[in-house]
Amino acid sequence: MITPEISWIAIFPELLLALGAAGVLLVEVQWKPDKSVLGTIAAGSVVFAAAFTVLQWVDASDAVEAGAVGDLVAFSGMVLMDGMAIFGRFVILAVTGFGIMAGWRYIESLGRRSAEAIALVLLASAGFSIMVASNNLVMMFLGLEVGSIALYVLAGMSRERVRSDEAAIKYFLLGSFASAVFIYGVALLYAGTGQFEVLAIRQFLSDTLLLSPAVALIGTALVIVGLGFKVSAAPFHSWAPDVYQGAPSGLVGYMAAIAKIAGFVAIARILLTGLSEFELNWLPIVAGIAALSMLLGSMVALVQGDVRRMLAYSGVAHAGFIMTGVVGASTSGILFYLAVYALQLVGAFAVVSAVSGPANAGSEIDDYRGLSTRSPMLALSFAVILLGMAGLPLTSGFIAKFGVFASAWSTGYEWLVIVAVLASVIAFAFYLRIIVVMFMTDDEGDDLPVPGTLRWVLGVAVVTTIVWGVLPGSLLRAATDALPL
Amino acid sequence: MRDEISLAVRIRSDISHIWRYEPRVAEVLTALILIPVVAAIVVALVPRSRKELHLPLGIALSVIPLALAGYLFWVFEPQVDMQFTEFAMLYEPWGITWNVGMDGISMPMVILTTILVPIALAASTSITKRTKEFVVYTLLLEAGMIGVFVSLDLFVFFVFFEAILIPMYFIIGVWGSERRVYAAMKFFIYTAFGSALMLAGIIALAAMHLDQFGAPAFNLADLLALDISAGAERWLFAAFALAFAIKVPLFPLHTWLPDAHVEAPTAGSILLAGVLLKLGTYGLLRFNLLLFPQASVDAVWIMGILAVVGIIYGAVVAIVQPDLKKLVAYSSVSHLGFIVLGTFALTSGGLQGAVIQNFNHGLTTGALFLLVGMIYERRHTKKIEDFGGLQKVMPIYAGFFLFMIFASIGLPGLNGFVGEFLVLIGSFSTLPVLAIIAASGVILAAIYLLWAYERVFTGVPDKEENKVLSDLSVREISLLAPLAALVLLLGLYPNILLDKIAPSTEAVLDYVEATTDYQVPEPGRLADVFVASGEDE
Repeated sequence: MITPEISWIAIFPELLLALGAAGVLLVEVQWKPDKSVLGTIAAGSVVFAAAFTVLQWVDASDAVEAGAVGDLVAFSGMVLMDGMAIFGRFVILAVTGFGIMAGWRYIESLGRRSAEAIALVLLASAGFSIMVASNNLVMMFLGLEVGSIALYVLAGMSRERVRSDEAAIKYFLLGSFASAVFIYGVALLYAGTGQFEVLAIRQFLSDTLLLSPAVALIGTALVIVGLGFKVSAAPFHSWAPDVYQGAPSGLVGYMAAIAKIAGFVAIARILLTGLSEFELNWLPIVAGIAALSMLLGSMVALVQGDVRRMLAYSGVAHAGFIMTGVVGASTSGILFYLAVYALQLVGAFAVVSAVSGPANAGSEIDDYRGLSTRSPMLALSFAVILLGMAGLPLTSGFIAKFGVFASAWSTGYEWLVIVAVLASVIAFAFYLRIIVVMFMTDDEGDDLPVPGTLRWVLGVAVVTTIVWGVLPGSLLRAATDALPL
Repeated sequence: MRDEISLAVRIRSDISHIWRYEPRVAEVLTALILIPVVAAIVVALVPRSRKELHLPLGIALSVIPLALAGYLFWVFEPQVDMQFTEFAMLYEPWGITWNVGMDGISMPMVILTTILVPIALAASTSITKRTKEFVVYTLLLEAGMIGVFVSLDLFVFFVFFEAILIPMYFIIGVWGSERRVYAAMKFFIYTAFGSALMLAGIIALAAMHLDQFGAPAFNLADLLALDISAGAERWLFAAFALAFAIKVPLFPLHTWLPDAHVEAPTAGSILLAGVLLKLGTYGLLRFNLLLFPQASVDAVWIMGILAVVGIIYGAVVAIVQPDLKKLVAYSSVSHLGFIVLGTFALTSGGLQGAVIQNFNHGLTTGALFLLVGMIYERRHTKKIEDFGGLQKVMPIYAGFFLFMIFASIGLPGLNGFVGEFLVLIGSFSTLPVLAIIAASGVILAAIYLLWAYERVFTGVPDKEENKVLSDLSVREISLLAPLAALVLLLGLYPNILLDKIAPSTEAVLDYVEATTDYQVPEPGRLADVFVASGEDE
């Protein structure tokens, strides 16, 4: 029996996150320190992990340049250190950092349980982070489960709120079901190809002519369904609005963003790398999911009266837009989109949590009346973020949409692009609805203070939305370099 | 590229060049776009509490682009080539370039923009709510509008084309009247819908360039080299035409316009009618004719008929409008029909008429909205029936109003005449039936405008509120006087503009003739006599 090689470096960021989670819990038990100590530990592990990821990025580009792509495979093929993994991981880490900042006020309000919340966030990130770097589908499943289970618990953190319980249960039941579907798909893929590793599956499919590919194809379909659930693509999205509405407002942005990032990197890896030979089989399905998600998400969002539900449905639409990039086989488009959308999502929910207040009250659209007079900077930030999500030019959202649309067009899915641009117009309407309420109603209310950590999150979301909208070159180049193996 | 020496280097090398320096290759157009942006930032930095500063500062800063544009007009040579061009690669893998330039088609529009923005700002003294944001949005709008007119890269063009929706949306939605939110939303969704399909068209063009030349491109010059199949050309033409037709707005896509105009504040109406609508006619002329010449030639009748229906429909509906602002709005639908008709007449006269009518309509309609805004500030109503006999109380106001009405009708000697006459002559040689029908639009214009004048101004003032109205103040006169002077100048001596327009419109015609089997019929080019003075030199 061959002992698998152990290369800690490949999973060092995840180790740091897990250590951070363990550290937060232990320190809390032992010393019961001030919340800021816990925050510092969490921040430390995230920052070091991010810094280490940058080093990995440099290493990976050196290896690619030197032609030593074998160096990018670790743990006997379990884990990859390719550009896509590192890019995805970095975005996950960034979202984790900003997510904790955005949810800090909520975490503080939890009292003794705040250490739990921080540890869960770090664990979720560790799980999803290993998921984007997995080459082995079982490894990917493990990462998915580690991350998902942490998120189920986070969704139910506010035990005293009925909605929160409902969200947690719903998320847990449907999420477990989706995970089961996913792992069944993995099993069928294994049955069909005899391989667990994405790269090996690709190799097998290109070397072998499958006379009866039915088993592998069913496996492919189940994997798409399972991951489609995680990224809340229609018609597997029904959990999203309730979870977004019920989960603690400070952390929803993080939860939504991180699941999308990991889910889509996994989709890109499995479909575009592993199953590219089956392209003709899954392209129509993915295109159909994309079209349905975009149209359904945009249209249902129009009639929502609750900003969080609206953002949930807009998330469904965004899943569709990113799926368009999968159809266009453009990993750079997908990664760029994920990066800008994830930051906007965290920023948007930071605003929601500021408006909802510490009581974590509702987020009816009427709560935003006259926000531009009550808190001009908050309203302006939200407007920029919403316009970015809507994909208006001069925001990063436009570049992101343009990238995925252009790729889908050049693979011959013209109809999908036309559906996508029309769905974007529908989506304008509900983003604008929030802006109307904020800027065009004169309802005077109490001034709304914005906590310090939220300001940073909003600042980053707004600045990146505008800067990458006007000068997207740097991020686009990085996303283009972030190639999967 | 080689002569793209920066301004600073030139000044250092020979100081005397400053005065003789022609900003031919310098970043003058970029500067023209950026100055309003910088101005907006400056205004944004003024504290909210110093309310009295925002508007004057904005007006003062918006004069800078006007001065620069005036200078560009002065040094603008009547020639075919793009002038003041700049070229830089923005993002190589996608082939996005920063390519701006000005020719006879875009130059009048840039001038018009820079003229109307200070006037629109100066007409907004009645805005007391959130003045800072208002000025900032207006200045950003100006930057976007200039950007649209000078961009030669379709990607950048689209970015500007779409981005200007945001400030206009806020201007209508925040500072408009009662139904402002509805109007703003309608405006935004309508125009965004059109441009969404254009975006698909732009992507298609870039993908085609990728297929045929191995790299995507958005640059107009690169895209002209594409070999587009007839079927694809027709679809792309439709996608672009739809976006521009909504913007114009061409019948039956015009329904957003009256709402937007009625609800918008005066400044919004001036810029909307004066400049934003022209994005549509400009786009048809610049992009549809050049990129899809065969489809344009094939679509001449469709576009012509839509234009003429718009002319008549707009005029007829304008007659029955009870609201002055709505009347002017519908008159825009009618007048812009002439521009589209001229564009698709595909003759020298038609194109020149379209371009100069673009400019002239901006002046006269801008002035009319300004005038309606002035009476609205006094009476807080725009209903025609609420007025009567104003001539007696406000003689100066009535004088300006009548003057602008005559310009709008197209009285010879005033600017409106030039454009409409050229369009009618130009279209008569290719679309005679449509030209004859369109000519009746001029008569209808006389009916609705003069009838409105009669109801508002003539007779005895019978309502108490109207008897105490004050006539125009010096400030208001100083806003109207420059517009009136330009109306007169362009009416008496249109060649000052036509000379510079003609080479560019002729180049468009030459291009259409060269790429299709269409030939401009002989009398169609006869309209050259109007530019004779330019060519004699």
